Amino acid sequence: MFDLTIRKRQESLGWTAVLIYSGAVAMALLFSAGLLFFQGNSPIEGLSLLLEGAFGSSYAIEDCLIKAIPIYLCALGVAIAFKLQIWNIGAEGQFALGAIGATWVAITFPGHSSWVMIPSMMAAAFLCGGLWGVIPAVLKLKANANEIIVTLMLNYIAILILDYLVYGPWKSPDSFGFPMTQEFSSGAIIGKIGETNLNWGLLICLISGLVIYIFFKFTVMGFELKASGENVRAARYARFPYGRLVIISMLLSGAFAGWAGFVEASATLNRLQPTIMVGYGYTAIVVAWLARLNPFYIGISSFLLAGLRVGVENLQLELQVPAAFGEIMEGLILLTILAGTFFINYRFVRRPRP
Amino acid sequence: MKQPADIVIALEGISKSFGKVHANKDICLTIRKGTVKALLGENGAGKSTLMSILAGRLQPDSGSITVDGTPTHFSSAKEAIDVGIGMVYQHFKLVESMTVAENVFLGQEGGRMLKPRAMETRVRELANAYNLDIDPAATVADLSMGEKQRVEILKLLLRKSRILIFDEPTAVLTPQEGDELFKALSFMADQGKSIVFISHKLGEVMRVADEVAILRKGEIIEEKSISEVTSKDDLARMMVGKETFLSVVKNKVEGGELVLDVKGLDGNGLKGISLNLRRGEILGIVGVAGNGQKPLVETICGLQAPEKGEITILGKSWKSFFSRRKNQDTLSYIPEDRIGLATCPSMNLSDNFLLTTRKGFKRGPWLRRKRVESESQNVVDRFSVLPGHISAQARHLSGGNLQKLVLGREFFRNPGLIVAEQPTQGLDIATAKAIWDHLVTARESAGILLVTGDLNEAFSLSDRVAVMFEGEIVDLFEVTDMEKRGRIGLMMAGAA
Repeated sequence: MFDLTIRKRQESLGWTAVLIYSGAVAMALLFSAGLLFFQGNSPIEGLSLLLEGAFGSSYAIEDCLIKAIPIYLCALGVAIAFKLQIWNIGAEGQFALGAIGATWVAITFPGHSSWVMIPSMMAAAFLCGGLWGVIPAVLKLKANANEIIVTLMLNYIAILILDYLVYGPWKSPDSFGFPMTQEFSSGAIIGKIGETNLNWGLLICLISGLVIYIFFKFTVMGFELKASGENVRAARYARFPYGRLVIISMLLSGAFAGWAGFVEASATLNRLQPTIMVGYGYTAIVVAWLARLNPFYIGISSFLLAGLRVGVENLQLELQVPAAFGEIMEGLILLTILAGTFFINYRFVRRPRP
Repeated sequence: MKQPADIVIALEGISKSFGKVHANKDICLTIRKGTVKALLGENGAGKSTLMSILAGRLQPDSGSITVDGTPTHFSSAKEAIDVGIGMVYQHFKLVESMTVAENVFLGQEGGRMLKPRAMETRVRELANAYNLDIDPAATVADLSMGEKQRVEILKLLLRKSRILIFDEPTAVLTPQEGDELFKALSFMADQGKSIVFISHKLGEVMRVADEVAILRKGEIIEEKSISEVTSKDDLARMMVGKETFLSVVKNKVEGGELVLDVKGLDGNGLKGISLNLRRGEILGIVGVAGNGQKPLVETICGLQAPEKGEITILGKSWKSFFSRRKNQDTLSYIPEDRIGLATCPSMNLSDNFLLTTRKGFKRGPWLRRKRVESESQNVVDRFSVLPGHISAQARHLSGGNLQKLVLGREFFRNPGLIVAEQPTQGLDIATAKAIWDHLVTARESAGILLVTGDLNEAFSLSDRVAVMFEGEIVDLFEVTDMEKRGRIGLMMAGAA
């Protein structure tokens, strides 16, 4: 007979960590297969439809990449705040505000060339998303308000503002009563890369990821942010400007989510409408966590989670699985990843019973 | 001397490695009934590892543990507690917001309903039986360190522990509390309990232990009865394996300009503190812990604002000094809490080096990584911080090596004023000596405020000594004043 006991790991892990996280994702897939089975579908068929839908054709992969762009930007933002141990779950709202800011520029000053429009829309999205992120930071510092609650609540407010605008003042006269703005002028639309369906938002992702990597590795403020996240008391001792760091990390966090909103409105929808809110801001939390806050891994994991969304669409079509199935899978992945961190820190040891 | 009593626990051939480090090598140790056994050794000698093995928190790679003649294997602390082995850790594991009785009974409530009265009565009986003075209804957060330690002891006694292990029990105590602890230890031993206590303070080992085992580099060097030990020096020699001198050579430095001037500092538990410090001087602040040293240090180091009074640091008022801080010729604070305050445990040494020196490695917004690496490696080498490479994580360093890193980092900025708080607490003799030498050298270009509970340290290093009691400086005198030195115990107790 054998006994299992739990031991704390005394050495840090190398490749085993990758194995553990892959195992966690596999576990989530297994649970999902179980769900499919209970629905009366064949789990094998379901999962293969999911994978095929996501990565089975060049069109699908293109679709994954397109969806991965806003997810990547949101997750990058979330990761910056998480680095400082500020739990920003408001990427969804910051995304909405970014889209609103960009749209304001697009419909207020139409007709300019894209050399003027795109940068000013980016600036507006950066500011609106960023300031939406700064609100909880200020409340945290001044009133000691819990940022988890505040960022979550602000998501609902942001979505209501967006709804108000597209149902009200910004509603296009020729939308047949549908809640949407007029279509952006061509200068306000991010173009496609060559012959593909991919848009240049991909380039924004690459540059942002690189900038953030450099920021954390080679700048004084990046170092201060990272160190404050490790040990707030040491940050106080070393006289880091902690308040300023919280504000800046939330500003950047919100700004990147804002850019995601801008890319989505400009490149994908070409206008602002309520269907822009599809939960990328929440997916970003799973992505950032899965990638352990590393900008490079965030790239990989946002592609995978985008694949999940695309694959589930296929599943919906073929097996009439409800749309919520994708969200359930996403939640399962987050849970198994969180459970997986237990195995990063501990291990089971078998020993013969005396 | 007591007669050799029954062996309760025998450890044989215990070995334990962490990666390539052999923390324990082939250790044999016996613990007898009714005996106080001291485990003496430098930092990193393997004392804590050995005791964690005995307490079931770690599992040995090889070797056997025999309890009452039966070979035993512990896979968790709970199994060790079940056979009567309990440990009081250096950092107490108590729920601050609960009462003493609730803490003692935590996990042993028996049934779903709490019976506060009955629990308090039981704890009171237990405390009386072992002469431990404590109020079972008090909230733990309000207790002194000594009282909290008694709660930990009561927890073990309630669980009928026969072998009580103490990890550096006096590190957090005032001298008086230490005395009370020693009385309690002897009393418990007389009641048939076996006590193991880990220490590196020779004096207390000589005072309270019946037997002593000396660990060096993971091996037991010597295990003998205390009556066979001839002198402290004897123990020290066995511990470090070489002659150590407990005094510091200090050449006279002419006093320079004022680097710190405190006038009438009041509030935050301080009462009318006035003192000054010149470059080239060490001012020792002694006193029983909790008599205002903490607020004084935190105010001087800018962690809290002065309520009333004036502080001038390096010629500037407190406010202007802390609003615009220079990187060189500044204030360096070497805090007591090395792991929680002075360093980030999961960052590497060069990042930890950067914590306070970052402004010196700036070029615009950029960090000059190459220079950081070479300078931090330099400091690591010069202060012989082990392991000697900057990619090691701070949490893998022993207390002494961490302190050397902090010291190296703080001296790197050429401070004009150094506030050193318990700089050698918990360190072995060789490291403490090295730290003292570093401080004495630093004195040549800085004024040092040395806050310490160790009188030997205060007298060896200081030029002047201030005694604090209940937030006041009761006396401030030249270290050469032998008459005052003789009365320092009374001053610390507020009786002079």
